[in-house]
Amino acid sequence: MIQRRSFLGLMGAATAAAGTGSLVLPAAAENKKHTIALVPGLTTDAFYITMHRGADAAAEALGQDLLFQGASEWNVTLQVPVLDAVIARKPDAILIAPTDKVQLVEPLKKANDAGITVVCVDTFIGNGVFQTGAGDADFPISYVASDNVLGGVMAARALAQSIGEKGKVYVSNVKPGVSTTDQREEGFKQEMANHPDIEVLETQFNDDDANKAAAQVQAVIGRVPDLAGVFGANLFSASGTANGVKQAGKQGEVKIAAFDAPQSVVQELKDGTFEIVIAQHPAEIGYFGVVAAYAHLTGNPVPTHIGTGFTVMTKDNIDDPNVSKYLYTG
Amino acid sequence: MTALSSEAAPPPGRTFLSKVADLRAWLFLVILVIFFETWAQTVYGVTFVGNTYNLQSIGIFATAPLLLALGQTFVIISAGIDLSVGFTMGLAAVVSAHMANLGASHLGLPPFLSMLLGIVSGVAVAFVPGLVNGWLIARLRVPPFIGTLGMYGIARGAAYLIAGGMTVPVSNAWFAWIGNGRIAGVPILVIIAAVVVLIMHYMLSQTRFGQHTYAFGASRVAAVRSGINVGKLTMRIYLLAAVCAGLAGALYSGRFAAGAAQAGEPLLLSSIAAVVIGGASLFGGSGNIAGTVAGALVIAVIEYGLVFINVEPFWQFIAVGVVIIISVLVDQSQRKLLGGRVDE
Repeated sequence: MIQRRSFLGLMGAATAAAGTGSLVLPAAAENKKHTIALVPGLTTDAFYITMHRGADAAAEALGQDLLFQGASEWNVTLQVPVLDAVIARKPDAILIAPTDKVQLVEPLKKANDAGITVVCVDTFIGNGVFQTGAGDADFPISYVASDNVLGGVMAARALAQSIGEKGKVYVSNVKPGVSTTDQREEGFKQEMANHPDIEVLETQFNDDDANKAAAQVQAVIGRVPDLAGVFGANLFSASGTANGVKQAGKQGEVKIAAFDAPQSVVQELKDGTFEIVIAQHPAEIGYFGVVAAYAHLTGNPVPTHIGTGFTVMTKDNIDDPNVSKYLYTG
Repeated sequence: MTALSSEAAPPPGRTFLSKVADLRAWLFLVILVIFFETWAQTVYGVTFVGNTYNLQSIGIFATAPLLLALGQTFVIISAGIDLSVGFTMGLAAVVSAHMANLGASHLGLPPFLSMLLGIVSGVAVAFVPGLVNGWLIARLRVPPFIGTLGMYGIARGAAYLIAGGMTVPVSNAWFAWIGNGRIAGVPILVIIAAVVVLIMHYMLSQTRFGQHTYAFGASRVAAVRSGINVGKLTMRIYLLAAVCAGLAGALYSGRFAAGAAQAGEPLLLSSIAAVVIGGASLFGGSGNIAGTVAGALVIAVIEYGLVFINVEPFWQFIAVGVVIIISVLVDQSQRKLLGGRVDE
């Protein structure tokens, strides 16, 4: 067995360079080692790094090979060449977080035509409903993600409760046009409509600049001294806002709900910087993405949508291992 | 291609006009403040500028872009551009956070010394991109745009690698005090920025280094013929820009209690805009520190003021763009008026 494994490894290394991958290896179907590639939306983000960890865990458990290649920023023109290079290596399956619903359809169709199984993780192509026979973009076998609208709803519920169901709040968001953060804002506003004594002010866009998010909340407090809470739709929105609130001397008075949970939020929950943190489960997305691909490759049926959950973190529950296990790690 | 230097002795009779030209960005700032004050008074019945809270907030907001812009002023006067300062700032932020943590955990240093170690390391690591930029541009004659674009990628990659793709939290009371504390109501960040402004102003207007920077930007050939060591000068200019970015990065870590590789990315364009609004020409030879300070404040006041008076967010993007264009147009017509050559 050991000999065979190292032989496989050598073959893998030699053939990968030639661009032929491991498909050429004659092996019995049931113990064939598949290559599954994960192409994240961007590589420099704790969310996707954690997703990679989950995917690795599943690949190891199933004895499959995992490739991880992506672009350094969220950008179609950067992601497509990486995808093309990955396709050229002929993996058996590609897990991808497409950076655009429309523009990634054709590049992914190439993969599908080459017989590569496509799974969407976190974001989707087309309308995200797959295997319906509906059209050009329904070929991915499954969409594995958390529901960002629901995440926004959960943030709104938790924030409404912590400000005592009344007062003024607003959303600090990155920039318009990003599907996930737009959905969080949508969910937040949708839920806040059910809380009659809470007024949602104009959204502020900070271009993912903590310095700007801080100045914006200071300006809002300058005009609206009784501001009760802010929903930071991503990490920099939340941490920038928290700093602005601190600079304004309003820490504790203006409650902040943050989205996404790197390790640093433990301290920030404990010292009162954040009141609430909504953690997605990126490791789960990676894990079940790999499992879905493996199930399909081995001839098993797969659900076309796999929804992963959220965890609401507060200073009271963050020490609970069942909560802290959802912190993002490398 | 060269523009009339605002520092060159103007012909008699034009002195007054050129003084006004130097103050242009400040006039612009005053007009903006009056605009926001009037709006705030009429619509909300509150004061915009008479409010210490607003002044403190704007001061803090302007600090990081200003620090980048101060170094960028020298670069732009020398007819160069430094696109790498944003990620040099990110690299410094990550390194200073790591080193402050390391100082406490591995060297057993007290918080104050760990903070110093963090800040010094952040500024020190910025020497690397600064020196490499200078070397590429001065010795290998790589155009500044290309050389610093390469360094933009390298500094970025290095910062993300050191940070492991995440932000690097730093828990240090002294560091947090530097980033968020106040002395007699003045934010420490603002005090630090003011000190750097004075040093930069002195260097640019009173030293041989500053005068050589103007001469080099106005005409490279003339600078070489008059015996200026342009290689050494270029190295120093890019080193200075990187050191300013390094300081901005270290202060970022203190303020946000975490170093982030992308800390300075959104600030690059603001820093260039501040220098241009301040009256510098991208073709080199003109510009000054007072103008850059006003330029940075103009951007901060617009962005802060529009939120304060509750203008819809999408208008904010437009407003900043319009101000940059108006500013350059005014600059061009002034040059015509003063008889200088206009940038082609």
